[in-house]
Amino acid sequence: MDSAIASLRPLHSACLNVSRGHFVWWLKMSAYAIQTEGLTKVFRNQWAGAELRAVDDISLSVPAGTAFGLLGPNGAGKTTFVKLLLSCCIPTAGRAMIFGEDSSRPEARRPVGYLPENHRFPTYLTGHDMLDFYGALSGMDSAARRRRIPELLHLVGLEERAHHLRLSSYSKGMLQRVGLAQALMHSPKLLVLDEPSDGVDPVGRHHIRAVLQELGKQGVTVFLNSHLLAEVEQFCTSVAIIQKGRVALSGSVEELTRGSGYRVEAVDVPEQLETELRAGARSAAQVNGSLELFFATREEANGAIDRLRAAGVAVESLGRTRSTLEDVFIRTVEQKAA
Amino acid sequence: MNSASLIATLALVRDTFREAFARRIFWGFFVCSSLFLFALAFIFRIDFSAGPPMVHSFQGTLAVAIYYVGTALSVFASASLVSVMFEPGRIELLLSKPVSRTHLLLGRYLGNLAVVAANVSYLTGGAWLIFGLKTGVWGGGFLLSALCMIFVFAVLLAVIVLAAVVLDSAVVATMITFGILFAAAILAQRFSIERLLSSESSRQLVELLYYVLPKTSDISGIVWKLSVQEPVESWMPVWSSGLFGAAVLAAGIRHFQKRSF
Repeated sequence: MDSAIASLRPLHSACLNVSRGHFVWWLKMSAYAIQTEGLTKVFRNQWAGAELRAVDDISLSVPAGTAFGLLGPNGAGKTTFVKLLLSCCIPTAGRAMIFGEDSSRPEARRPVGYLPENHRFPTYLTGHDMLDFYGALSGMDSAARRRRIPELLHLVGLEERAHHLRLSSYSKGMLQRVGLAQALMHSPKLLVLDEPSDGVDPVGRHHIRAVLQELGKQGVTVFLNSHLLAEVEQFCTSVAIIQKGRVALSGSVEELTRGSGYRVEAVDVPEQLETELRAGARSAAQVNGSLELFFATREEANGAIDRLRAAGVAVESLGRTRSTLEDVFIRTVEQKAA
Repeated sequence: MNSASLIATLALVRDTFREAFARRIFWGFFVCSSLFLFALAFIFRIDFSAGPPMVHSFQGTLAVAIYYVGTALSVFASASLVSVMFEPGRIELLLSKPVSRTHLLLGRYLGNLAVVAANVSYLTGGAWLIFGLKTGVWGGGFLLSALCMIFVFAVLLAVIVLAAVVLDSAVVATMITFGILFAAAILAQRFSIERLLSSESSRQLVELLYYVLPKTSDISGIVWKLSVQEPVESWMPVWSSGLFGAAVLAAGIRHFQKRSF
């Protein structure tokens, strides 16, 4: 399977009938895989006179070749944003562009591979036939589809037997895998994945991540909409957190998770000194026999180190603290809610 | 149409066939048609000794019966094939492909029409063959009635498409389509109805409805005339029904283009 990942075809391989027109279009492609300008979607219930701003004036740019994560609590507008991006939903205001082309134009969606959340693939098709159908809709000719399908089914780890089983007998994890294969069918330059590892076991999740990482190395832009913050943190380079239809926070994962404090670790700290240091620290903990002290400022951390050294205590390690993406997410959502 | 569009169209038509097979719609239609043909072959006593006028009359009645049975079966069989396309989780993936909404809807429309055309051809062709073998009468007009049936279904399918796009319900789409069939049967008797109406405006309304709605009952008269090889005086019911179908299909496409999923 690893060899299958390594042998993922380079972008825009022979899978598509790339005409001269397409090539010119490809050259003109924007440096941004995704750009939205004031994208807004208001759902109106004319009977009740109520309205819901599911997506509210979102302007977002995702550079080509990056792995971008879209985060947000349930009902924040993530899936509506994705639907607007792919023209499944008609915006109330604003516009979305894919590689510089208005996404409402069918041709703009040609470089996009999409795996929707709560997908409902035609269950009367086999895995093989389903890939063949969606490949044909993406404009692939039959020879290219015949070549590509076995490669992809092998890539996503579906056994030979599964190729000829109807999707109605697939497990949730198998459906996600074949769904990912469907999204990769025409070697897309932009992969939009809505909860791709939903229902997939940890091994399968690891495998999907490996596939995505390989695609990332090949320059494919991955737009990931996921609840699994650890997954997003491991894979994405940039994220946006949206709440109540608006971008609450965005930036690189590195910047967002960089903490503002300092951590000092020491062993065999005399009891009296430990009590004094704990009193001056923001927080402290005993971890496997070591004392970990957290300070808000560099000066406080340096002061603690001086006192430890003066007492002849060896400092085991020191460094900047880091937040997890989960910390950042919860902090942002709580702040906005407050 | 470029090659990518053609590939996508063929995929949509083939997918509709596959779904019709999987939902046993195709086979249901096939079994009903086969039972009808079985009855025609083994139950009805048809022979040339009854005399040519009687045989022609029976052929005409048979064509009209097939027309009504086939149309009703087609509507029942097709309503779910259109609305199922708009299921959440399925439509989003279709819309994300580099295919226009018009193309998607027309692809499904064509696939549905092809499913019904295959079954109607079997039903009419089978009846024509059995009738010919039993009586020695091989009227080509009887086969033309299959085209009339496919045409009327194409018009009614436009209604199914519009109802499914707007209301998202196969059941309601079926009810509306049968409502139109029922209204057409009543409006075909408009002269009798108008005599019962007291005001001029209500008479004009009946006239208007007659000319606007598809004339499925009047077309059954054309089917009769074609099968008994009599001349057809007016094709107005056909072309005006065609206009209705085109307008309704255009409205369905328009609504689909503006709809959010």
